[in-house]
Amino acid sequence: MNRSLPLFRRSILDGWRGLVGWTIGILVALFLYLPLYPSFGGNGQMQQIVDTLPPELVKSLNYDQIGSGPGYAQATFYGLIGFVLLTIAAVGWGTEAIAEDEENGQLELTLAHGVLRGQILAERTAAVLVKLAWLAIVSVAVVMILNEPAELGIEFGNLVATAVAFLGLVSLAATAAIGVGAATGRRTWAVSAGSGVAVFAYALNALGNQSDDLAWLHDWSPYSWAYGDSPILNGWNGTIWLNYAVIAALLAVGWFVFRRRDIAV
Amino acid sequence: MTTDTGAAVSTRGLTKRYGATTALHGLDLDIPRGSVFGMIGPNGAGKTTTMRLLLDIIRPTAGELSVLGRTPRDGGAELRRRIGYLPGELHLGTRVKGREFLAHYAEISGPVRKGAVDDLADRLGVDLGRPVRSLSKGNKQKVGLIQAFMHEPELLVLDEPTSGLDPLVQQEFHAMLHEAKAKGQTVFLSSHVLSEVQQTAHEIAILKEGRIVERSTVADLRENAVRHVKLVVAEADAASARSTLDALPGVAGTASVANGPGTVALTATLDAHVDAFVKAVARLDVVDLTMEEPDLEEMVLAYYGTDLSSTAEPVDTDRKAAKR
Repeated sequence: MNRSLPLFRRSILDGWRGLVGWTIGILVALFLYLPLYPSFGGNGQMQQIVDTLPPELVKSLNYDQIGSGPGYAQATFYGLIGFVLLTIAAVGWGTEAIAEDEENGQLELTLAHGVLRGQILAERTAAVLVKLAWLAIVSVAVVMILNEPAELGIEFGNLVATAVAFLGLVSLAATAAIGVGAATGRRTWAVSAGSGVAVFAYALNALGNQSDDLAWLHDWSPYSWAYGDSPILNGWNGTIWLNYAVIAALLAVGWFVFRRRDIAV
Repeated sequence: MTTDTGAAVSTRGLTKRYGATTALHGLDLDIPRGSVFGMIGPNGAGKTTTMRLLLDIIRPTAGELSVLGRTPRDGGAELRRRIGYLPGELHLGTRVKGREFLAHYAEISGPVRKGAVDDLADRLGVDLGRPVRSLSKGNKQKVGLIQAFMHEPELLVLDEPTSGLDPLVQQEFHAMLHEAKAKGQTVFLSSHVLSEVQQTAHEIAILKEGRIVERSTVADLRENAVRHVKLVVAEADAASARSTLDALPGVAGTASVANGPGTVALTATLDAHVDAFVKAVARLDVVDLTMEEPDLEEMVLAYYGTDLSSTAEPVDTDRKAAKR
């Protein structure tokens, strides 16, 4: 009775299997990609391959810096496979938090107990963010382990800045799903919002990369806010925090509607 | 907003609209503390809507609502700890085991006495060591009942509680309701048939299309129900028996039917006034007397029918409510 954060603990316990699965996924991705750098990227071979690709594709994939260790880690993991994997996890968890629970009828039962709606939203959001943060920390640990053997030459401080930017970017997709789920109670809307934000962010950044005329699109892309100033090379910058500000705004709007509306109708 | 009248639940003009659809049309309801109150009505009558309003799962469009002296909105989490709620549509899809599932809900409800969950599980006969989602519908319903009862709340709000339960478990459930009442807990339960509530509920309200069309005690309902009577007398007494019956209040449709040799059977319907009837026929030379138990279910079903909608006008309901 006196133990705190009951809903947070319940969410973590309910989701531990999934979290283990995603952790393995992240480990596999990192251990597959990063050790290839010395044989691929380090000796210029990768750069040669990239040079043969259409420049538009290279720009879309952010492969233009793939010839350096940090650029390689950024282009393969943080900018692509890690982003895709964590976004899928984030949208799934974000949808489960409110919308799915409401559609399958269990939110009604939980709300009939001694909890507040804001508390449900806060504790479940915290559980999602903690799980995503765990995956980001796993990525930092693995990159640090592989840094020497894979000759990546990534500075720890820059890596942390990258992971924080990465976490902000994927958490944005999660909170879009949570916030829209809290506001509407509809699973499909939550999924659409979460994945839509991620696709929008990536696509806008890819378009912005194509030419100087389109570069202004970066200003509107959460993906560019996270990675635009290459934190993996340059460390911290202000736009990283822009995603966190939008996250806070999404949660505030979701909470505002959630505490006022009818549940499960 | 609403004054505490001492009732566990009190509503005045409670209205709920979903867009253009009105689910509840100004409900006036008082459920005294320590009583068992049954709400019956067909699907879509507004039973679930009423119950969800009490738990602050949905908010009223208009009217006043007081639960244990508080409005659900202001009472918040603290008020809900004093209530046990069983939703009408219980979906339990979690893979956690029953015991762990209930331990979670125990954390977010009122204090649960040690051993209370196991006692209830034993009584209802459900295995809490199995994942909740693998349980049958009836067993899920038992888990739902346990979470509603386990903290011995002041108010139990049970939406179609016996759905999916076999008759033996239903009996156990009725025993639990009697005990709850004995402990001073208030019970508000709903059903679409009378038989599920008449054994336990003291007072009932019949809901139709968002309005209360009848409010009564089960005893009153039974007393006022129409009974079929059959009186057998000797042929010689037939005429005087008939005139005795015709002179009685509440007797209608008297008819003579052929009976065995030397006797005549008189059939009639009797609307209340059982006492006067028995006393009057006692003076006759009665060969046989049969009085059928009134079919309350049939009576209630008549309220559901469209033919009675004319008597269910809000004005009528309001006048009835004012009288009580």
